[in-house]
Amino acid sequence: MKTVIADKRWAKKYPHVGTGPVSAEPCISPEYFELERERVFRRVWLNVGRVEDIPGPGDYLVRDLTACNASILIVRGKDGVIRGFHNVCSHRGNKVVWSEKGTCPGMLSCGFHSWTYNTKGELTWVSDEENFFDLKKEEMGLTPVHTDIWEGFIFINLDPHPRESLREYLGGLAEQLGGGYFDRMTRMYTYRVDEKANWKIALDAQNELYHLPFQHRLTIPNFCVSKDNRYTRLLDVRLYNHHSVYSSETPEGLVPPPVQALAFRLEAAAQRCQLPRIGDFDFYTIFPNFVILLFKGVSQDYYMTYNFWPLAVDRTKWDLNIYFPPTEHAAHRLSQEYMKCLLRDILQEDAIAHEAIHSGLASKAKTQLFFQDDEIQIRYFHKVLENHVGLE
Amino acid sequence: MADVANGCDVGRLLPEAFQDLTPLLSWALATESERMQKRRSSTMEEILAFYHAMLPRMDAITDYLKQFLLDRMPAETQTLFQLSLSLMEVANAVELYKQPRLPNGFDPARFVLLE
Repeated sequence: MKTVIADKRWAKKYPHVGTGPVSAEPCISPEYFELERERVFRRVWLNVGRVEDIPGPGDYLVRDLTACNASILIVRGKDGVIRGFHNVCSHRGNKVVWSEKGTCPGMLSCGFHSWTYNTKGELTWVSDEENFFDLKKEEMGLTPVHTDIWEGFIFINLDPHPRESLREYLGGLAEQLGGGYFDRMTRMYTYRVDEKANWKIALDAQNELYHLPFQHRLTIPNFCVSKDNRYTRLLDVRLYNHHSVYSSETPEGLVPPPVQALAFRLEAAAQRCQLPRIGDFDFYTIFPNFVILLFKGVSQDYYMTYNFWPLAVDRTKWDLNIYFPPTEHAAHRLSQEYMKCLLRDILQEDAIAHEAIHSGLASKAKTQLFFQDDEIQIRYFHKVLENHVGLE
Repeated sequence: MADVANGCDVGRLLPEAFQDLTPLLSWALATESERMQKRRSSTMEEILAFYHAMLPRMDAITDYLKQFLLDRMPAETQTLFQLSLSLMEVANAVELYKQPRLPNGFDPARFVLLE
């Protein structure tokens, strides 16, 4: 495949996205951040995990979401159903479950006075109940949160009346990535980065390839670059409801250095396992803060996810997960180790830029951001965000 | 999950066919953070010596490792596996950025692998 590279292709295809500069103010404004919390993070579908995080009855996750002013408990019931609740006791509002992950024996007790809930969130036991006045236990369960699952990814929505179902929200992306592919992979590594940067700066910096030959000149100078495509122009850009994907291809025939070549050889021997890729590398931005990256392997594709969790206007928790097809064999595992080290080093090159950009914008030396045509997906993200923040 | 060979006192022995790698045993480390620390605190000469000693043996090593499932490796095989993991750890320093530490990289202590 050869990329057809005309100038300004995407603006012609998606004229409604616009071409002008974008204000930098939302990246540094505390007032805007409060609007994002209320009008975005408390109203849209947010990815909080995967079904294999809580495989058995009684398994639970707790997500303390600063961006939503909420602590959320996700628990798999004895009936196998995954439910989400506000992690807040009905008695006096204490946090019920404090550990980030665990397994309960069918019930969860608040540490404050031992009020106890089952895995359906129902209040089943109150200590010294006889001494209370007119408690209606059956009406005093944990406050449920809309929870749904798509392709094994668990989403919650804190809006009591979500404007869209999860399926509607995902739009055509749900079909593009559907088919059970992600179930065949297993999470091998999780990195967590606590960054001094606005969450959008971190996401924007990832949401393009333009920076690759420069920011990553020491690590992947040739990824998605060819003689005919020096500036990583994209193979495809698709917009899906609030979301986008950009896709690229990388030339074949490059001679890898020795250990990289060894890693490729070991991986090539593995059983084929492919993801529904558009190109060799696809980057899905699922509004607002979730990213799925698909990578072409020699024989086995693999994928990553990012969750950019705002902690403050100038602080973000960036969770990165790397998923590979499962392997039981030590030799094959070496190729995954190689790829993990490469991804880690590349992403450390990125993270240092996130903080520098935030400092730069916070200085107010510049008030606008300029995006070229092959960064249209960033432009689209800001437009979607603006639309959400603008809704009362 | 990330480091299947950890938590095991490997006894600092290698399989019979790989005894010649014994001088490299300080690189047989169980966790990513240990291997990364070893790379970052080594000189380029030390890294290159390890890299060039391991590389010609990798075909034999991977052929050997192919006989084993990850969770059923004898202690000396685990040691060999850990040496190989360290080769993966130093590969980029040798083949890509040519120095022990990634230049212009984020502080690795703040880029935390949840093991």
